Amino acid sequence: MIYSLKDVCKSYGTRNGAVRALEGLTFDVQKGERVALLGPSGAGKTTLFRLFNATLRPSSGGLRFDGRDLTVMSGRDLRSTRRRIGTIYQQPHLVPSLSALQNTLCGRLGSWSLIHTVRNIVRPNQSDNKQAIAALESVGLADKQNARADELSGGQQQRLTIARVLMQDPEVILADEPFASLDPALTETVGLLLINLVTNGKRTLVATMHDVELAVRLFPRIIGIRHGHIVFDKPAVRVDHEAIRALYAGEQVTNAARLDSENWPEAAKNESSREPSCAR
Amino acid sequence: MNPAVNQAAHVSEQYWRQKSGLKLKRLLSWTTIVLVLVISWRAAEIRPTAFFEPSAVASVIAFLRGLFPPDLSPSFLRVVGAAALQTLAIAIAGTALSIVIGMPLGMLATPTLWQRGVLVAGERPGASKLLLAGLSRATRALLGLLRAIPDLVWGLLFVVAVGLGSLAGTLALAVSYAGVLGRVYADVFEDVDQQALEALHATGATRTQVFLFAVWPQAAASISAYTLYSFECCVRAASVLGFIGAGGIGYEINISMRLFEYGQVLTLVAMLLGLVAATDAASRFIRRRLRANAPAGSLAHQRVEDEENPRPRRIFTSQVKRRVAPAVLTIVIAAGFYFVGFLDLVSADSGVLTRSARFVAKMFPPELDPVFLRSLMVPLVQTIGISVMGTLIGVFIGAALALPATSTVVFGEDDESGRRFFLKRSARRVVYYSARLVLNILRSIPELIWVLVCVLAVGLGPFAGTLAIGLHTGGVLGKLYAETLEEVPARPIEALRAAGARPLQILLWGVWPQARAMLVSYTVLRWDFNLRVATVLGLVGGGGLGQSIYNNIQLGFYPRVSTLIAIIYILVLVTNWLGDKLRPQRVAL
Repeated sequence: MIYSLKDVCKSYGTRNGAVRALEGLTFDVQKGERVALLGPSGAGKTTLFRLFNATLRPSSGGLRFDGRDLTVMSGRDLRSTRRRIGTIYQQPHLVPSLSALQNTLCGRLGSWSLIHTVRNIVRPNQSDNKQAIAALESVGLADKQNARADELSGGQQQRLTIARVLMQDPEVILADEPFASLDPALTETVGLLLINLVTNGKRTLVATMHDVELAVRLFPRIIGIRHGHIVFDKPAVRVDHEAIRALYAGEQVTNAARLDSENWPEAAKNESSREPSCAR
Repeated sequence: MNPAVNQAAHVSEQYWRQKSGLKLKRLLSWTTIVLVLVISWRAAEIRPTAFFEPSAVASVIAFLRGLFPPDLSPSFLRVVGAAALQTLAIAIAGTALSIVIGMPLGMLATPTLWQRGVLVAGERPGASKLLLAGLSRATRALLGLLRAIPDLVWGLLFVVAVGLGSLAGTLALAVSYAGVLGRVYADVFEDVDQQALEALHATGATRTQVFLFAVWPQAAASISAYTLYSFECCVRAASVLGFIGAGGIGYEINISMRLFEYGQVLTLVAMLLGLVAATDAASRFIRRRLRANAPAGSLAHQRVEDEENPRPRRIFTSQVKRRVAPAVLTIVIAAGFYFVGFLDLVSADSGVLTRSARFVAKMFPPELDPVFLRSLMVPLVQTIGISVMGTLIGVFIGAALALPATSTVVFGEDDESGRRFFLKRSARRVVYYSARLVLNILRSIPELIWVLVCVLAVGLGPFAGTLAIGLHTGGVLGKLYAETLEEVPARPIEALRAAGARPLQILLWGVWPQARAMLVSYTVLRWDFNLRVATVLGLVGGGGLGQSIYNNIQLGFYPRVSTLIAIIYILVLVTNWLGDKLRPQRVAL
């Protein structure tokens, strides 16, 4: 069992009081599974991802990664756990002024010592470079290794983040709408790339999607989330039209939606000052 | 009563209460303004008649006559050259030190690294998290303190601590500009795109690694631009620090002034202006190159223009740049440190360190005797009065010179060709360039030199300080006003002109409403700045708190000096707060 959630709640303090992003989630993810999270914008998917990659803590409830309690971890322990989890973000999250190669190398930071880091700025390590170039090759960006990240097109940037995750070589890959900015042809390529990464059964893939058809085709297990609650959790073959309609029915933009999709850093800033309880 | 009527009555009552409240507020604010002006007038000892006293007229004429011819004898030119070099050395060493001090403080004061946001949100709440956040806040406050105390006051303290000479000036610049740079660095680090931070943080990178790979690459271009800008400011400040015995051009100007050698003064001032202009030009040149090769997101915005103006050629080929430029920079900085006598400080047996330690120990505890505190009321009010009246004079001078210095106003209408229009156009050009020239002269000469000149005309005291601030501020504000007027959006003015409005009408109905908020903002900011200047004018005889500081340092009453410094700090905090209140909202500077 790679993830185990027990009654997980997450709420943010905002100027207008507490906003609950997730309420009472309980489910497990097995090692080697491929899970797609479906749900309207603002359902809490991105927040769930931040709990999964240990950059946020649940307000209450239990969250375990590979048997270890994420809620009590800190310092070096927490960092080495984060190293085992790779994240592909909705927006590319690259360092704009660094080259594609350097951005790829960034994936490895978690396993570098401070001395190695500083030395790498002065003179890049050859074996690291070789691995990074290999990662760029497998996403088809080998010829762009010296281009600055902000000079790449949207699709190229998205592939670059995948190269960074390849470099990180994590056990779990979290992909937050990895296809949002890709055209149909690229979606197919990138989708297959992601699936290939995890088919050997060792890696786990959790992805949020908007494209229901694609999700059902690529992922054996689908979890539907709405307003921070789990609506359904079933094998892809048993996801029917009815369930999808119920998931997206009468959707309107709520406070939580805006908070979740755009204002996260703002909300997190507020959070540190005032952490409301997650009472139900 | 029917509820709707009831509600209407309630609303109208509220309306009237609001309206009368507004009236009262307006009355109160006008009363305050008049009161402040009257008190300032009295405190700054404004005496317009002082200009017309025969002795004043005579000494001004003597001064102006004495300026020419400037002293260009070889022996004196050697003195001037050495002084200029020393000023430059002070500025270089001071800037280098301020970077060394300011960089770590700036990192520590960056909220996104320690207090809130993506890097902190996932950490376990606990003592170490709180401790780091607290340390970060404390560093920010420390930077505020370093910045609030004027560099000249730092200079005075260091003169006592390490002795007269350029070392004191260097240390003063290092400390006060460490405060400026630390704050700027913290703001730049805070402003970088957070997405990359989050991504690297999630891969398990440490804070140091996130800083090196996500924050620094995004911040580097702005950091170097701001550092160069700070170097420009340091050159100006270094040339003035000599007035309190910290070496360089200021020192020579002070001496020549006291010896009535006005010809020497002119040469020295010309040298000062040349030095400032040369560093400004050099720094602007390097900054433009930096922007041309800029990393960071700024390029994305510039790409469109770049097709029309191709990037300027690089100064050096990359090979030369990588090897030679750092070597040259190192040599220049090392030379700077050598010239200001840093070796004395490093060689511990000179006793500099023990002497400064003893001095710092003597400053505590601060003197809190009620009689002494009460005696400070007069210089305190005087300082505020000087800053208010000085800024007001500056506003008048600036406003009078801004219109003829605004190119869109002077060259606004399309003149036709022909001889008559040629004459008209030439006349306009003369008006425009002479206004700009006067503004430049007023602005380039530091307040402290203006004090020396004004003392000749109206004698020692706060009036001289007020005039000095007024002259310098007039130059600064005139330039800012002119730039603001030039940047006013042109379309509404076009429409007014098309409707047949006269120039004055255009000014009142088209330009003023658009520029007002900016103009007020600049003025309030300048007053904020002038208050800090007013605290040091007394060092050369311009009245205010500076006089008390100078006297108490001369007499060795060090506990009183620390009280005075605390008062200046509080005064600056209050004016910053007041300035934020007075500035129109929604104006980005």
